[in-house]
Amino acid sequence: MNSFQLLLDGFAGALTPINLMYALIGVTLGTLVGVLPGIGPAMTVALLLPITFTVPPTSAFIMFAGIYYGGMYGGSTTSILLNTPGESSSMITALEGNKMARRGRAAQALATAAIGSFVAGTIATALLVVAAPAVVSFAIAFGPEDYFALAILAFTAVSSVLSRSVVRGLASLGFGLVIGLIGIDQQTGQARLTLGMDQLLDGVDVVVVAVGLFALGEALYVASRLRHSLPEVVPVGRAWMGRTDWRRSWLPWLRGTALGFPFGALPGGGAEIPTFLSYAAEKRLARGVAKEEFGKGAIEGVAGPEAANNASAAGTLVPLLTLGLPTSATAAILLAAFQQYGLQPGPQLFDHNPALVWGMIASLFIGNTMLLVLNLPLAPLWARVLRIPRPYLYAGIVLFAALGVYALNGSVVDLVALFLLGLLGYAMRRFGLPVAPAVIGLILGPMAEIQLRRALAIGAGDVTVLVRSPIAVILLVLSLLALLAPLFRKLMERRHVEPALPTSRED
Amino acid sequence: MSETTAGRTGPGDGEKRRWRWRPELGLALIVLALGVFVVIGTLDVSAAASQLGIGPRFFPMLVGGSMIVVGLFYVADVLRGGRGDPEESEDVDVDAPADWRSVGLVSGIFLAFTAVLNLLGWIIAASLLFFGLSLVLGAEHKLRAAGVGVVLGIATYLLFVKGLGVSLPGGLLQGVI
Repeated sequence: MNSFQLLLDGFAGALTPINLMYALIGVTLGTLVGVLPGIGPAMTVALLLPITFTVPPTSAFIMFAGIYYGGMYGGSTTSILLNTPGESSSMITALEGNKMARRGRAAQALATAAIGSFVAGTIATALLVVAAPAVVSFAIAFGPEDYFALAILAFTAVSSVLSRSVVRGLASLGFGLVIGLIGIDQQTGQARLTLGMDQLLDGVDVVVVAVGLFALGEALYVASRLRHSLPEVVPVGRAWMGRTDWRRSWLPWLRGTALGFPFGALPGGGAEIPTFLSYAAEKRLARGVAKEEFGKGAIEGVAGPEAANNASAAGTLVPLLTLGLPTSATAAILLAAFQQYGLQPGPQLFDHNPALVWGMIASLFIGNTMLLVLNLPLAPLWARVLRIPRPYLYAGIVLFAALGVYALNGSVVDLVALFLLGLLGYAMRRFGLPVAPAVIGLILGPMAEIQLRRALAIGAGDVTVLVRSPIAVILLVLSLLALLAPLFRKLMERRHVEPALPTSRED
Repeated sequence: MSETTAGRTGPGDGEKRRWRWRPELGLALIVLALGVFVVIGTLDVSAAASQLGIGPRFFPMLVGGSMIVVGLFYVADVLRGGRGDPEESEDVDVDAPADWRSVGLVSGIFLAFTAVLNLLGWIIAASLLFFGLSLVLGAEHKLRAAGVGVVLGIATYLLFVKGLGVSLPGGLLQGVI
C-alpha cells in the first residue's frame, strides 16, 4: 500500500466522533496551557502526558498531536500580546508581533500568526507524509552502529546549538544521561546507581524528570525573581486581517515553511534557527512600506517566523517517527509517550502499527484545521488567560505538576524526586544551562547504550565496528563538527569586532 | 571547547574576581562530582561481559568519564570568569537579586505537602499547597486564594478519580466524597 492510501485509512480512523473529540480536547488543552506564560510547548506536553494514560493508544496519540500543535499556537499568542521575552522559538515572533499589537494591530498579528501556522503546518505535515516513507526505506538498512552514531550526533548537536556555551550544554546533557542510567540494566538485570533504594530499580520516570525540570524548576525560578509589576497585556478583539495583510503575508508564510521544515528535521536544528533566519530574510527582502515598518511592527516579521516555527514542529516528527530520534525537548517527551505504551518509533513502527502512525499524522491535519477555527474567534479569551494573577498561575502549575507525578505510581517518593529535579531545573535556569539536552539525554541515553552494546556484540568486542559503516562515519564526523562549531563561530566573531547578527537565545 | 560567555564582565573585573567563590562554581563542582559518583557508584556492578561483548559497566564508565571531563572544563570556565546568562522568561525579572526567602518557602511548602498528602488526602493537601504557594508568591486576597485552592482541590479530585480513573488518596475525606 502506498502512503496516500495509508493516510486515507488514517483519516478514516481519526474521523470517528470519539477520536474527533479527543483531537478537540487535545488542541483546546494544548492551546490553553501553551498560552500560559512561563510554559513552553515541551512543558505543555509533559504536564498533559498523565491525562492520556487511561486512553487507548491511537486516541492518546491523536490527542497528543493536538496538544503538540496547540502548544505551538498558544506560545505565539503569548509573545504577541505580552511584552516580555518568552520561550525562544516564539521570541522572534514577539519582536515585530508585540510592536504591531502596540500600534493597535494585534488582531492582524494574531491572524497572520494563526493562518500562517495553519498554512505552514498543513504544508509541512504533507511533506512529512512524503518524507517519512522515504526515510523509513533508507533507515531499514541501518545497523546498531549507525543508530549509535545518530544518537551521538543528536547529543552533540543539541548541546552545542541550544547554548551559547558548549560546556553548559554538555553538562545539561550529562545530567540527563546520568539519570537515564539509574535502574536495572536491561540486558543483565543488574541494578545501577540505585543507592540501595527499591523505588529506583525501575529508574526515574521521564514524566518526573520533565515535569521537575520544566514546571517545578520554572516555579522556583519565578519565585526567586518574580516580576512584581504585572506585565501589560495588549487588549484584542477577534483576530482578522484585510486584503493588504494577506498580500503581504502569503510569501513570508511559504518562505518560512521552506526554512522551518528541514531545520526541524535536523538534529539540533530545532525551531530557534529557522525562525531567526526567516526573520532575517524577511527583513532583507522588505520593500516599501514593509521596509519602513520593520522594527516598528511589520506583518512580514510575524508571518515568516511563525510559519517557520510550525513547519519545524512538523519537521521534528520526521526523525522522531522514522528513526526514533528526538531532536527537541518536546519530541523527546513525545518519544517517552510512545514508550509508555510499549511502542518504539522507528522503521518497524510503520510496519507494525500503521493505523496508529497514520492516524496520528491524519490528526495533525485535523488538529491544524481545528486550531485555525478555534484561534481566530477565541483570541480575546486567550488574552484573558494571560491576565491570570501570577501567584495563582504558578501555584496552579505546581499543583498540577504534583498531580501528574503522583498519578503515575501513587508514590510519595516520586514527589520527593520531583522536588529534587525542580531544584536542578532552578539551578539550570539560573546559570543558563539549556534544559533540552538533559531531556534528550535521559530518553536517548538508554537507547544509545543498547545500540552500542549490540554493535560491539556483533563486532565481538572490536571497537572499529563502530566506524565500519560509511553512514556511521559521516554521522560521527558531523557530531565532531557540531562540537567544534562554536569555536569557529568565536573565531569569526573575533575577526569582525561587532557581530553582525544577534545570536538567538537558548531554549 | 570551554567557551566563556563574553559580555557582562568588564576587563578589570575578571582579574580581581578570579578566585572569589561564585555560586555557579557549585553547579560546576556538582557536575564533576556526579561524574566521579557514576564511575565509583558502578564499581559494584560486576562485568558479566564474556559473550555479550561489553558488560553493564562500559556505558556508565563512558558517561562518568565524559562528565568528569566536562566538569573540569566547566570549573575552569567559571574560574576564568565565564558565566551563563540566566534564562529569560515571561514573569522573571532577570536583573532582580535572588529572593531566597521565597525559594525556601516554596520548597518548604512543597515538602510539607508531600509529607501530609497520604494523611490528609488529596483534596485538603492540594488546597493547602495552592493556598500556601499563592500567598508566598504574593497573592493579595487571602480568602480568594483559599477559595480557589479548595475549588481546584475538589475539581482535580473529581476529574481524575471519577473521570479518568486515577487513584488519589482520600485521606480524612475518605468516604465523604
